[in-house]
Amino acid sequence: MTEEELLLGLRNGEEPAFKELVILFQDKVFNTALSLLQHHTEAEDIAQEVFIQVYRSIGQFKGDSLLSTWIYRITVTKSLDHLRSKKRKKRLGFLSSLFGADNQPVYEPEDFNHPGVQNERKEDAALLFKMISQLPDNQRTAFILNKVEELSYREIAGILNSSESAVDSLLQRAKQNLRKKLKDLPP
Amino acid sequence: MENNTSDQRTERILASLDGLQRSAAPDFFYTRLTGRMQREERPGKEKFILLKPVFITAALSLVLIVNIFSLMKLGGQPGKKENRQANKPATIESFAEAYGINNTASVYE
Repeated sequence: MTEEELLLGLRNGEEPAFKELVILFQDKVFNTALSLLQHHTEAEDIAQEVFIQVYRSIGQFKGDSLLSTWIYRITVTKSLDHLRSKKRKKRLGFLSSLFGADNQPVYEPEDFNHPGVQNERKEDAALLFKMISQLPDNQRTAFILNKVEELSYREIAGILNSSESAVDSLLQRAKQNLRKKLKDLPP
Repeated sequence: MENNTSDQRTERILASLDGLQRSAAPDFFYTRLTGRMQREERPGKEKFILLKPVFITAALSLVLIVNIFSLMKLGGQPGKKENRQANKPATIESFAEAYGINNTASVYE
């Protein structure tokens, strides 16, 4: 099935077309969400939301970009929105803990182990993911799309609605920040 | 020497994602997705928006702020007035003033 046929089927609400789209993109969407959120259950939840939005708003997709670019864009937006909402809840939880007896932090981030990392690199990768989660949103997104999804500067520029030179600059700054954070760590 | 080791460690960690395999979506992803879509299409009971924790916390915070503000703004003033009045000996004039009787002579006439 070509992309045009797939789009036509999706616009007509055909289930086989939707199933094909999910099978085609589920790993890309899940892997991107997982790398951004660093949490399996939340990544699956967001991946489902992405496909639900694709199904509901396929009529709004004008074909100005590739279908994959559009889907990646939805994935990134939903994942970052989820992270912001989680941060808000964490702040709210801290406030409510001030008034309650329970002074335990609401959410304790644990080390994230990406299942695709080679065994001998797991410890280093966990540390790197921890540092990645401290980067600003745009640098984190560009770095993950480039390093984890292995997308080209052009594809990342399409997803982030920016230029290739802006993506290059984002990646340079991300690497610079990561180097600084890693050097500041105790040996 | 120490810097060199630290740089090597940094570069090793930065390279730890090289050759990373894409993580596959969980098993039965499509089945679970379609199940969720069917559940969401069904007209279910919408949780009343005002019962959401965020609204409850915001409302309680607002009430608390209003209370603190009221206590700060109004709490001190009547006390001072009462103290002043308590220290002042009661006179017929003050009694008349309190009850709005301006002409005391008219009472006896």
